[in-house]
Amino acid sequence: MTAPPTIPVPLPPQRAASGAAKIAVPSLIGALVALTLGIYGRLHHPTGIAINIAGFTSPGYVKSWLATVATVFALVQVGSALVMYGKVPHVAAPSWIGGLHRWSGRLAFLLAVPVAIHCLYALGFQNYSTRVLLHSLFGCAFFGAFTVKMLILPKRGLPGWVLPVVGALVFTLLVALWFTSAYWFFSTFGIHR
Amino acid sequence: MRRNTPLITLLTGGALGVVLLIASMLAPRSKAPTGFSAAATPTPASAATVQSSSPAASPAPAATATANAQFRADYAGRVKGGVHASVAISIHGTQAIAYACNGSSVEAWLKGTAAGGRLALTGKNGAVLTGNYDSRRAFGNVSADGITYAFSVYTVKKPSGLYRATADVRGATIKAGWIVLPDGTQVGSLESNPDAAAPSATAAPPLDVTAGTAQDANTVLHVISISGTTGSGF
Repeated sequence: MTAPPTIPVPLPPQRAASGAAKIAVPSLIGALVALTLGIYGRLHHPTGIAINIAGFTSPGYVKSWLATVATVFALVQVGSALVMYGKVPHVAAPSWIGGLHRWSGRLAFLLAVPVAIHCLYALGFQNYSTRVLLHSLFGCAFFGAFTVKMLILPKRGLPGWVLPVVGALVFTLLVALWFTSAYWFFSTFGIHR
Repeated sequence: MRRNTPLITLLTGGALGVVLLIASMLAPRSKAPTGFSAAATPTPASAATVQSSSPAASPAPAATATANAQFRADYAGRVKGGVHASVAISIHGTQAIAYACNGSSVEAWLKGTAAGGRLALTGKNGAVLTGNYDSRRAFGNVSADGITYAFSVYTVKKPSGLYRATADVRGATIKAGWIVLPDGTQVGSLESNPDAAAPSATAAPPLDVTAGTAQDANTVLHVISISGTTGSGF
């Protein structure tokens, strides 16, 4: 997944340093987002209070299901990206593939936000087990990486590998988040609402 | 015309996060563990007991508060008299939270002050804890559900200490507390309706200290540590 042959990337005449700056500034902002979440999660005393949503047994199930749906949308993200980049043999990118990619991404992100807020407010950044520490780190990193992805998306003239690499990072972090939370939750307490 | 749609996505998510965070900050006021808020307004009888037994403790003089502002400790242990009941006390600066419990029907959450080496805490239904403390141990008396226990307990380190869980299940509140003793023994009780005039407590389900969870029937309780050392739960 290096050079996207089907996506013509216009290269406007610009200063040589601008390419690096285009990645550096969003990366810096993304790092600040991740750091802010981590520091808030660590400093704010977790309330432990969990507001229940009707129809679910506990907030753990609400979060696990939201995270699972977000992860399914993330799988759609990878699939649609592969089609857009012409990496799926014998499948030509349909006209709606861009829309599918954008909307599945937006939905995945918007579903992840309430889960993250509950984590930050009620549970906090914790390190009492390896799973919990990894989940805390991945959670902060995910929203940082997503910020980077959104900020570099509209930029023109980036090297072709940048978007796939950042996109893959966002996807990997979300799947890691799911495995360290919803997967653990469902396998510990059972799959139901 | 090219609109920066990824930025709109990002800002929408950020705005959603801020709204949810504010909603969370506002919501717990009505859903807060009621035993705690009730402890702030003790019954006249228990308030009188506290004042007569330790007049210096309430209100804490400003000078004492400053001197004790950094004092942090967690104590836990069995009460005297060879019974199963245990008590855990956490001190964070001049604030103190305590939990006394016999592992079934007798239990009380207490909140109050720790100043000048003296403890003065009150809870619902006339629960009172008075005593003395230093950096090594806390000793005194605690009354819960009409039974008075004498205690002399020593400081503990995680995972020993005090844990609490609250959950709202279909409109009813569950509130549970656990004291984890230095030998790993858990003494815990669970109130399924702490708002009732005479709440009935039962033995709490086993607490998974590592996972921070306990399972009560179909409900998963997420536990938070009450620790004066770390400030968690204060």
